This record gives sequence, structure tokens and C-alpha cells, in this order.
Amino acid sequence: MITAQQDHWLPWKADAAPTLDSRAPAKKSSVNLPDALVGGIVPLAVLFVWEVLARLEMLPPNWLPAPTVVAKTIYEMAAAGDLWKHVGITAARVALGFLLGASGGTLLGALTGYFPVARKLLDPLLQSLRSVPSIAWVPLFLLWLGIEESSKIALISLGAFFPVYLSLSVAMRHVDPKLLEVGQLYRLSSFEMVGRLILPAVLPEYIVGLRSGLGLAWMFVVAAELLGASRGIGYLMVDGQMTGRAAIILGSVLLFAVCGKTTDWMMSAAGAKLLGHRAR
Amino acid sequence: MEKAKGNELTPRGAPKKGALHIAIARKKFVGSQGSLTALRDISLRIRPGEFVCIVGGSGCGKTTLLRILAGLETQYEGSVFLDGRRIAGPDRNRGMVFQEHRLLPWLTVRENVAFGLSRLSPAERSGKVQHYLDLVGLRSFERQYPHQLSGGMSQRVAIARALAGRPEVLLLDEPFASLDALTRIRMQAELLQVWQAERSTVVLVTHDIEEAVYLADQVVVMSPQPGTIRNVLSVDLSRPRERTNHQFNRIRRAVLDELLAHALA
Repeated sequence: MITAQQDHWLPWKADAAPTLDSRAPAKKSSVNLPDALVGGIVPLAVLFVWEVLARLEMLPPNWLPAPTVVAKTIYEMAAAGDLWKHVGITAARVALGFLLGASGGTLLGALTGYFPVARKLLDPLLQSLRSVPSIAWVPLFLLWLGIEESSKIALISLGAFFPVYLSLSVAMRHVDPKLLEVGQLYRLSSFEMVGRLILPAVLPEYIVGLRSGLGLAWMFVVAAELLGASRGIGYLMVDGQMTGRAAIILGSVLLFAVCGKTTDWMMSAAGAKLLGHRAR
Repeated sequence: MEKAKGNELTPRGAPKKGALHIAIARKKFVGSQGSLTALRDISLRIRPGEFVCIVGGSGCGKTTLLRILAGLETQYEGSVFLDGRRIAGPDRNRGMVFQEHRLLPWLTVRENVAFGLSRLSPAERSGKVQHYLDLVGLRSFERQYPHQLSGGMSQRVAIARALAGRPEVLLLDEPFASLDALTRIRMQAELLQVWQAERSTVVLVTHDIEEAVYLADQVVVMSPQPGTIRNVLSVDLSRPRERTNHQFNRIRRAVLDELLAHALA
């Protein structure tokens, strides 16, 4: 707009000014509106080329089946009802593991964030445990909890625990002391201090922690199911590998992507609703 | 200490509450690199309903003094009394406005003003909030969030929040320092109106001499290292004061001389 106005005052551009004005919205839309579509161009092109190459039998079908074949495989499984069983069990594992891990992370994060003594006692231990790659615990979990559900849930919980713990503990320690002073001025009790100042203040960071915890829960359910399961999306992948059906593996990857993205979107929408209109 | 003379424009039927008696022998900050004496031999009496401005350069302890009055600093030698009772910590009988507005970003304007009123019934609370939002002229912004307000508006909300608890003493720490010159002048006039409506004691810290002379019944001039009171000057000018007036400038000059006398010594 500014350039358009300036141009208007330049005599040699005087007649160009209205054109500039009328063109401005069109130009804006060509940059802004299709941004999401622009991001889709390359993936669509890749899918198209992939499809064409597969149809021309230039790609071995048992190695890289056409996208339409992958879609058809998923559709057939969905129609047969098998798919929902697998998706359901995986989602249940993620839900339970995330719930346990996030609860633990919330509890210990709040403790260490609020009480300096708790932080001095617990934080060094938790930080050193965090530096162990979580998959390394798998043999121990299997030994302790067996190959059934418990060991899977434990692994997923562990994945969800750390981001939640870390974000809450750090955020609670770094609440603006200037805002805490306001609470002091109004003589809030420690209970009110937490409820009316600290919790609302850390909410944005906490939600970010929950989101990454959920992301890790999905990551770890893949690991857990690949390591031995008789049901679940991860089992489908192993099954596809054993029976040499790449379409099933690719379909499972797609399912994980869709499920993970959906739950992240749900979490982020819930977070946005909680945070309301406040400035981040 | 110079005694303030009666001021015609101090609200009539002067309030009985809000008398401050300050007697601080020493306030030290102890850090890892030794200790620093922030205040020394501060002795000051502020009468109920009086408007006092504390001026001084940076590091003269004026903010520390205000924080002691608020009850946010309690470790010092000496004592401060409000209406005969020793100040031992923050209390609802004192309201504080900081240099930054310190509004809670997750609350609306009206929720921020109501922050300290949780003990009142909802009806009482909402009446108070409306009254003080009207007083600072922000009634129509009650549903906005702090980030949607300008600096001056935020500071007005902070003043309304401090006033909503009906404090006997209103403490302000350079409340207009971050505002532009025009907004500052408007806010000063508004603060005077609020003070005249509320009749509470006001202690305002500033480094702006003109602001101090425009607002105060008494100007307390402080000097640093260690922070101490250099002089107390009365401003016997009727309100509203004319900033370009000869008398005004004479007092302004006197305050400046006090400050410079120390700085050049």
C-alpha cells in the first residue's frame, strides 16, 4: 500500500497508481492464500511420478508399490475391519502410556519446580536418567514386565515423561519474579500463589511439553510394537515385512503419520482454547 | 526537615488515615561481592492525604525506600509506621504501582483490577472494578487483554488495580517513566484527579523534577552513596499548576540545585 501511495505522487507513475491499487489484492492472494498449496506441489509431483513409474513397471511392485496400491491396501483392511482393531490397540497404548508418563512428569515437574529442595534432590538423578537413550531400557522392561502390554506401556510412559517433566519444572522455576511480587503484595497464600499465578504463568510452556510428550509417545509405541506385538500398527509393519508386502508397511507408516498428526492437532487445539486470547 | 505548610487544594476534611512515619537507620544489600549501603538515616513524616514525591538520581535508594514502605523489603535497621502500626510486610492498606505495569497477561482488564478483591462478594467486586475503571477512563476496555493496550492504558489499569483495594497509601515507582512526554502529562493530571477523589496518601518516586513539582505537596530530594535525604521542599502552589509559571520554575530550580549540589560536590 505504501509503495502504491508513493507511486501515486510520482508524476511519471501517476496513471499507474490506480492499476497498482487494483492489482494489490490479487498480488497479495497469489503470495498468501496458496501458501499451503505451494507446500503441496512437490509431494503431489513426487506421488505422480511414483505412480507413473510404478504403473510402467519401472519399480518392482514388491519393493515400492504404487500409491494407489497402498491406498487400496489400507482401504481393504479398513473394509474388512482388521484395520480398526490394530489402530485401536495402538491408540489405547499411546493413550495409557501418555497418561501415565505425563502424570508422572507433571507431578515431579511441579515438585521440583516449586520446592528448591526437591529440585536439588531429584533433578540431577532425573537429568542423568534422561541422557540414557530410552530404548536402552527395553531389555530391562522385558525382563521385569514380560513381553505383554506392561513393558510397552512402560516404554511409552518413559518417552512421554521427560518432555513434560522438563518443561514444567523449568517453567515453574522461571516464572517472572515481578509477577510473583504482585501476588506477594496482595498477600496470596502459597496455595493461591500456585493456583492464581504460577500455574497460569506456566501454562503455555506446559502445553508445549505435553505436545512433545505426546509426540514421543507415538514414537515409542512404534519401537514397542516393532519389538514384539501380536496386534497394533507396529505389528502390521512387522507382518508386512515378514510376508514381503511393502504396501502394508507403507500404509502403516501413513497410519502412524495420520494418527500422530491428529492427536497433536487435538492437543494443540485444546491448548489454544485454554490459552484464550492472551499474548504468547 | 522542613515542615509542609497547609495546602488549600489538599482535599477538605483531610483524611485521618494514611500517616507514615519513616525512621530507617540503615538498609544494606549483601551480595557475593560485599555489601552495599542503599539507605542511611532516613527520617520522614508524611501526613494523611499528602502527596509526596521522592526525586533523585539512579542509585540513590528511592526505589528501595518505596519497597520498604510497600513491605516488599523487610530486612533493614529501623522501622516504618503506618498510622502507628509497624510495617512488617505487604498489606492491603497499601497499594503499589511499578514502573512496568505488571498486569497478568492471562487476565482481562477487569479481572486484573479485581485481582486483589477475591475476598469480596461478586456483586461488591464488580461494583468496585467498575468504579475504578471509570475513574481511570477505561470502562470500555474491560474485556481487553493487557497486550491489546497501549503503555499508558496499561499503567492506568495498574493504578486502578492498586486503588481497588482502597489503600490508605498509594505507592508509585516511576509509574510514567516509560511513557511518551504527552501521555505522561495527561497521566499526571489524571493521577491528581484520582488522588483528589480518593484522598489517600500518595508517595511517588520519580527522577523527573518537573513531574515532582507538578504533583507533590512535598518534594523529597535524595542523594546517593549512601542513599539519604538531602532536603524536603514544600510546593505551595495551587492546583492545577502551570508548568511555565515563574513560581513553578523557581521551585523546579531549587530542586535541581539540591540535586546538582550533591552531584558536583
